[in-house]
Amino acid sequence: MSQRKSYAVGTGLFIVLGFAALAYLATQTTSVANTHQGASYTVEAHFANIGQLKERAPVKIAGVRVGQVRSIVLDPKSEVADVTLAIDDSYNHIPDDSVATIFTSGLLGDQYVGIQYGSSKKDVADGGTLALTKPAQQLEEMLGRFFGAGGVADNLGGSYVLKARFSNVGSLSAGAPVKMAGVPIGSVMAVHADPVKLDAEVLLAIDKKYDQIPDDSAAAVFTSGLIGTQYVAIQPGGSPEMLKNGDEMVLTQSAMQLEDLIGKFLVNGSPAEKKDTPTDSPAGKR
Amino acid sequence: MSAQPQRNVITHALAQIGEAGLFLLTLLAAVPRSMKHARETVRQLWFVGAMSLTIIMVCGLFVGMVLGLQLYYVLSIFGGTAASGTVVAIAIYRELGPVVTALLFAGRAGTSITAEIGLMRATDQLAAMEMMAVDPIAYVAVPRYLAGLIAMPLLCAVFCALGIFGGHLVGVSWLGIDNGTFWSNMTATVDVWKDVVNGILVKSLAFGAVVSLIAVYQGYTTPPTSEGVAYATTRTVVASSIAILALDFVLTAFLM
Repeated sequence: MSQRKSYAVGTGLFIVLGFAALAYLATQTTSVANTHQGASYTVEAHFANIGQLKERAPVKIAGVRVGQVRSIVLDPKSEVADVTLAIDDSYNHIPDDSVATIFTSGLLGDQYVGIQYGSSKKDVADGGTLALTKPAQQLEEMLGRFFGAGGVADNLGGSYVLKARFSNVGSLSAGAPVKMAGVPIGSVMAVHADPVKLDAEVLLAIDKKYDQIPDDSAAAVFTSGLIGTQYVAIQPGGSPEMLKNGDEMVLTQSAMQLEDLIGKFLVNGSPAEKKDTPTDSPAGKR
Repeated sequence: MSAQPQRNVITHALAQIGEAGLFLLTLLAAVPRSMKHARETVRQLWFVGAMSLTIIMVCGLFVGMVLGLQLYYVLSIFGGTAASGTVVAIAIYRELGPVVTALLFAGRAGTSITAEIGLMRATDQLAAMEMMAVDPIAYVAVPRYLAGLIAMPLLCAVFCALGIFGGHLVGVSWLGIDNGTFWSNMTATVDVWKDVVNGILVKSLAFGAVVSLIAVYQGYTTPPTSEGVAYATTRTVVASSIAILALDFVLTAFLM
């Protein structure tokens, strides 16, 4: 009988140990450990790009975890991601002009939402919105910045479209930045060849903030650096009339092809220079 | 001439699988009848489960420690040693825990089940039970099968816990990865359902079902000679190992 009891107790201990190990692994080493049981309030933030942000990703202030991402949905009306943040009730003094930014922890780490305090006296309330956000940094964008093309401004405030015709756009593609005085003010929306006029028609989406561009401004396709990406530079003119949505920019300057430049250098003038290309090479080029 | 034995091997293997499947149905049909032998099931659980704890715990610890060392070496090339907690946990939960536990279980418990039942067969104990109107399936086979089925997930959970502990021991205590980073990276990435439940519970339950079936079946159909018992024990280990690794691939493909 005592023999029988000893194995029964041992078996019971074994089963308890097994379940304890399972419970420990399931709750302490998985993302369950990160779910906060405490009460929380929700705050909305709209991002132009969430990168690899996932639900249940941490929300941090000054590096300290204060909550988590509850849901990520695409706004059905605009190209904006609606991110709902669940923040612990104990952290309820976040100024309503704080900036929500998507950061990456380390080089290969997961992404999280960082909140940097603003200076407003008012706190963001339950169900409120953090209006100021910075999107996730995309590697492509960072590389583009590295090569000098610069980031494209978010067109969250809406944009208007200008047309420009080039006899040669080089390797300009949709998404390339549009710059004025070196500052990105919009992006190239589309590049397509005109089947009748046999040139390239480029649609530029310009941020609505920059609606004071004179209608005699010139558009030029430039390359940033020697091997950098191509972008459209707008050189303002002096006309009192401003460009409006759908207008066409008349003065354009096509991309300089490296072959043309070398040919020009070697034989002193390339054959059949295009009609709208000024004979002198653009600034910044040799 | 060479094709003839080849076909024999294949048909033999197929016949064994078919017979094992039918044997499983017999076992399941006998489960209600074996309820009156619950105490025997507990005794078997003690024998295949609790007595296997030592080997499982020691092996889990060493697997975790080796994993910690190897990952530290590889991840330090990329400067990503902080991720070693995550990788140790995911590797153990998803693959090493269930598979190594099942292999150890086949070697530790499966063989002894086969040898025990095989010797009962060889010494006519099973026939004697039938003479005494004791159903040997319900009294001998089912309790061992159920015990294996219950013990496997529990052993796997213990193995995984010790594996994580071993990885922590090497990574944090010895190689100096930050303790907080180790755990926070782990908790940020490991998912309860996809990693813990799918790995520990689903996989090890499936392995437990297959290994126990093979062990009980091989013992029950042993040729009643001492050589037959020896062959049956060997076959248990070989068939279990193949079944575990093949099933692991299939399960992984489905559970991904």
